[in-house]
Amino acid sequence: MYKIGIDLGSSYTKGVLVDNDNKIVDYHLIRTGFDFNKAASKIIDKFSINNEIQYPVYTCGYGRDELKIPFVSNSEIIALSRAVFEKYKRKCSIIDIGGQDTKYVKINDLGQVDKFKMNRKCAAGTGSFIEELAFKMDIPTSEFTDYANNATEIVKINSYCTVFAVSEIIGMIKKGATMPNIILGIYNSVIARSLELSPVDDFLVLTGGIPDNHPVMLKLFQEKFVNCESPEKSQYYAAWGNVLLSN
Amino acid sequence: MSLERNEIIKLKSVDSLRQTMGDYFARLKNAVDTGKKIAWCTSVGPAELLYSMGFEVYFPENHGAMIGASKTADKYIPTAVSLGYSPEICSYLTSDIGAFLQNETPLQKSGFESVPKPDVLVYNTNQCHEVGDWFMFYAKHFNVPILAVNTPLWISELTPSIIESVANQFKDLVPELEKISGKKFEIEKFRKTVGLSHDGCVLWRKVLETAKAKPSPINFFDSAIHMGPIVVMRGTQYAVDYYKLLLAELEERIKNKQGAIPSEKLRIYWDGMPLWYKLSSHAKLFSSLDSCIVASTYCNSWVFDDLDANDPFQSSALAYCKLFIVRSDEEKQKVLEKLMKDFSIDGIIYHDAKTCGRNSNNRYGLPNRMNEINKIPYLEINGDLCDSRCYSEEQSIIAIETFIKQLSSRK
Repeated sequence: MYKIGIDLGSSYTKGVLVDNDNKIVDYHLIRTGFDFNKAASKIIDKFSINNEIQYPVYTCGYGRDELKIPFVSNSEIIALSRAVFEKYKRKCSIIDIGGQDTKYVKINDLGQVDKFKMNRKCAAGTGSFIEELAFKMDIPTSEFTDYANNATEIVKINSYCTVFAVSEIIGMIKKGATMPNIILGIYNSVIARSLELSPVDDFLVLTGGIPDNHPVMLKLFQEKFVNCESPEKSQYYAAWGNVLLSN
Repeated sequence: MSLERNEIIKLKSVDSLRQTMGDYFARLKNAVDTGKKIAWCTSVGPAELLYSMGFEVYFPENHGAMIGASKTADKYIPTAVSLGYSPEICSYLTSDIGAFLQNETPLQKSGFESVPKPDVLVYNTNQCHEVGDWFMFYAKHFNVPILAVNTPLWISELTPSIIESVANQFKDLVPELEKISGKKFEIEKFRKTVGLSHDGCVLWRKVLETAKAKPSPINFFDSAIHMGPIVVMRGTQYAVDYYKLLLAELEERIKNKQGAIPSEKLRIYWDGMPLWYKLSSHAKLFSSLDSCIVASTYCNSWVFDDLDANDPFQSSALAYCKLFIVRSDEEKQKVLEKLMKDFSIDGIIYHDAKTCGRNSNNRYGLPNRMNEINKIPYLEINGDLCDSRCYSEEQSIIAIETFIKQLSSRK
């Protein structure tokens, strides 16, 4: 029997299949779309093909309470913290950069949340910021890291607003800024916004879809914080944490 | 955590509240119909002086809250914005002026054609300076006098010179109001009104203090509604009578150990303004989380118990300068620290209202400074008093649920 943890995020739904030893044995990710039940069903169907599933499933994220199947829901911040503590077993700060939210969480020696903060009602500093700029520049986000790795200098993007950032970038292009430098600037802008949430003075764990899919983010964070890691498949951590919380 | 809605025990006094507020609006309507003089006043303005001189008193901020609670602000704000009022200034102002320009008001349900035409507008800048711009719009529109008490902001020490200056400004209002009302100022009437205001404020303080009991017989969402009379009828017997009734009910609840939220496990402090358009859903949310918001900066802001009938001008100046919103962050912190202890607070929620910096006390590092001293966890949520476009509900619910879990893990 396996347990399923599902993080129904604004952009993507992340699912994990967890065995009796609390180890993740399978992952699955799909676009959430507008139907949380459909998204969850796809995850469950995928895991059910070859495995016997134990209900309820464990959910967090925006669609956590919307399912028609038996479920137990949790706060994604609590779930994420639980998973990070399971991995590192120490107090730390977490910065989670997702599609719509960026979160700062500080957990103590017991793995409890001591403090957390979420981004304001604004896309800047989140994955949507990167996606929107990628769309406007007609560059797939999957190519962003390669571009950034070829940057020769950092271009500073001052705009708080995603829409105004686009105008600012057009101005930079007109002045001759290269695309690699601009993309590095976009990454640095996201990092700067995430660091506005709280001072970071201890071990930093980076999680979420953005660091998973944009490995240059970890490198840039590590330039600022020597003591910084991002676990593999970190965007599944909240989903995994849901299952861990059930024990 | 699923949002099963736990029971919220409604106060029986709500019927009397409805009657008391209904009577207030009926008196205003009568003034409109009979030509009795009407003064507009800011919510922490010199209401006692105006009532003592025979005015019926109308409070645009109360009107703004009504628009917010009726969830219609989004319809009106764009009209004010199109006239050059920024969407980032007070949304009481923009929704009120927008509604006026659309010739609509929640008061139409009470038989008014429009908001009652003022004979004079009187404001005090103790809460903010935007009230001056707000009232000036109507002063120009109706071509009526506008009078002001200019109170310095960010008062640290309440010096005699500040009190004297404000007391003199109160006195300077008198001859102007005499001209407008056609009535001679009578110090004994003013003393009586100040005395009634004091009595009403003491009763209101006692009402709020009942929430020190465990479980609390009242929560913030009740208080935000039941504060109506202390805002608009301060200085009248009506407010005194109402709060005697409410206090008796709450004392009875304490005796019977009946909580506003029977399953109260956590006691929360709310700083900042209510999100008027979410009052009911927030009440249900916190109840479902077994959490009672037992105290708030906002509701405590109408406790003017320094008012003294024996020294009405000086004591009015003192009371209206001592107000939380007009104090320095250092003084605010002292007040908050005491409230945290008095009400056995487990956690603090700071509502950062996009259009009301004066009522958002999280903007200059106060939450961090408080936390360093009392270690009480806090949460900041972004929203607004009237403009629902500034509020991200899903994100805020996640934050609130997480915060409650965080607090529960410490218990």
